[in-house]
Amino acid sequence: MEPRSATLSLSEMPVLLRGEAAPIHRWIDQWSNSRALCLVLMTIIGTALFGAAVGSWRDALQAGYTALKFPLLILLTTLGTALLNGMLAPLLGLNIRFSQSLLAVLLSFTIFAMIVGSFSPLMFFLIWNTPPMQSAQTATAYRSVLLVQVAIIAFAGIAANVRLLQLLEHLSGKRSVAFKILFAWLAANLFLGSQLCWIMRPFIGSPGLPVQFLRPDAFRGNFYEAVFYSITTLLSQKN
Amino acid sequence: MNELPSAPETPHLSQSIAVPLGSNPAEQRPIGTVVAAAEAILREPRRVMYHLHNSSPARLIWAMLLIAAFCGLLYGLVAGTFSGKEQLWAAPVKIVVGLLISGLICLPSLYIFSCLSGSPARLTEVLGFLAALLALSAVLLIGFAPVAWIFSASTESLTAMGALHLGFWIIATSFGLRFLYAAFATLNPKSVVGIRVWALIFVLVQLQMMTAIRPILGRSESFLPTQKKFFVAHWLDCLGNSVRGDARSTARD
Repeated sequence: MEPRSATLSLSEMPVLLRGEAAPIHRWIDQWSNSRALCLVLMTIIGTALFGAAVGSWRDALQAGYTALKFPLLILLTTLGTALLNGMLAPLLGLNIRFSQSLLAVLLSFTIFAMIVGSFSPLMFFLIWNTPPMQSAQTATAYRSVLLVQVAIIAFAGIAANVRLLQLLEHLSGKRSVAFKILFAWLAANLFLGSQLCWIMRPFIGSPGLPVQFLRPDAFRGNFYEAVFYSITTLLSQKN
Repeated sequence: MNELPSAPETPHLSQSIAVPLGSNPAEQRPIGTVVAAAEAILREPRRVMYHLHNSSPARLIWAMLLIAAFCGLLYGLVAGTFSGKEQLWAAPVKIVVGLLISGLICLPSLYIFSCLSGSPARLTEVLGFLAALLALSAVLLIGFAPVAWIFSASTESLTAMGALHLGFWIIATSFGLRFLYAAFATLNPKSVVGIRVWALIFVLVQLQMMTAIRPILGRSESFLPTQKKFFVAHWLDCLGNSVRGDARSTARD
């Protein structure tokens, strides 16, 4: 049986949210399967609740799909960049093991998930008050759901990264090193995360398109191509 | 002349941060009944904070939820007198359900904001603060009820009555939020920004809830609205209808 200190129970989640450096440092130092599993479970629950709320405007089926895809997006991003993040940390001045860097990133994603999860009742309430798909104000409703979703995700992302920065500062003892590593990890996570978002779309579900788990062209093109194409189209229209 | 023994005075709410909770023996006196809880939330808010923080607060939380529900019912009855008939029971039910559900919707985010701001508050404590906020707001609304009733009896304009109730609600909620800020301040959080952001969310949810469960003042064929609207759009529609109505009555005069 694992010692009590090696596990992370639900009652310890507030410690994570408060960013208490000493206990979190202990968790990072000692890898524990049960702790990692608990973090993964909390991440899945929080993001699935929020995903269900976001998708529920389009259709009940879309709510189910988004509840499945949102946790998948977060976990795949964490795993996809784990190796790179583990290598970047020592290169930028923080000599931590691979498991420690993975756990640090996972901790920040768990904070993110708990924040977005706590906003899911609010999101459900907003969707309940939003004109339904068939109404004349579909476009306005779609944009407002999108805006609120972006605002909540942005807030949760900022809060999670502030906590990650504090943890990195505690581990390295230097603010400049902590900033460098945070930016490097953020760049890697955003780069992969954006492409995974592109592949896994739709999350809310465009009103004019059918409800699907993945779009038929999910693996055709990439996020950055689409952004480039949008910018060039916009510029050519102006000319 | 014999003087009645006076209860030791509790520090004012503004002293919340400077004086530790329970430093005054008066704050430690138990709150036994629902009436005592209602009185304590008005006169000795720090006593309520102390009991939410130190003892097992389940009974106190239930008492405050009961106060919020009862006062909400009474205020709803007064609001319902504007239209009468089925609104006499519909308005109280809607106000109580709206008040409690909006609290429930905002509870998870309040707890998360509380943790993010570095406060050591437990979930039950946060629930207690929220229940106290709802109770204090509802008790204050009862204070406004006679005024609201006088206006209900003499005013015909739905928009004017709506604005009046909104004004009362704003005052009551701001006192409730003042209690919440003071309660969190006693826990020495690193920052209060999160709680203030949450307060904005709570106000928006309550305003939207009022629109989602309309009509509270006017009458309708259905219990709940068939058309979904954001509260600002609803207010603008009401204002527009009111201006058109005034123009018609002026033309008749």
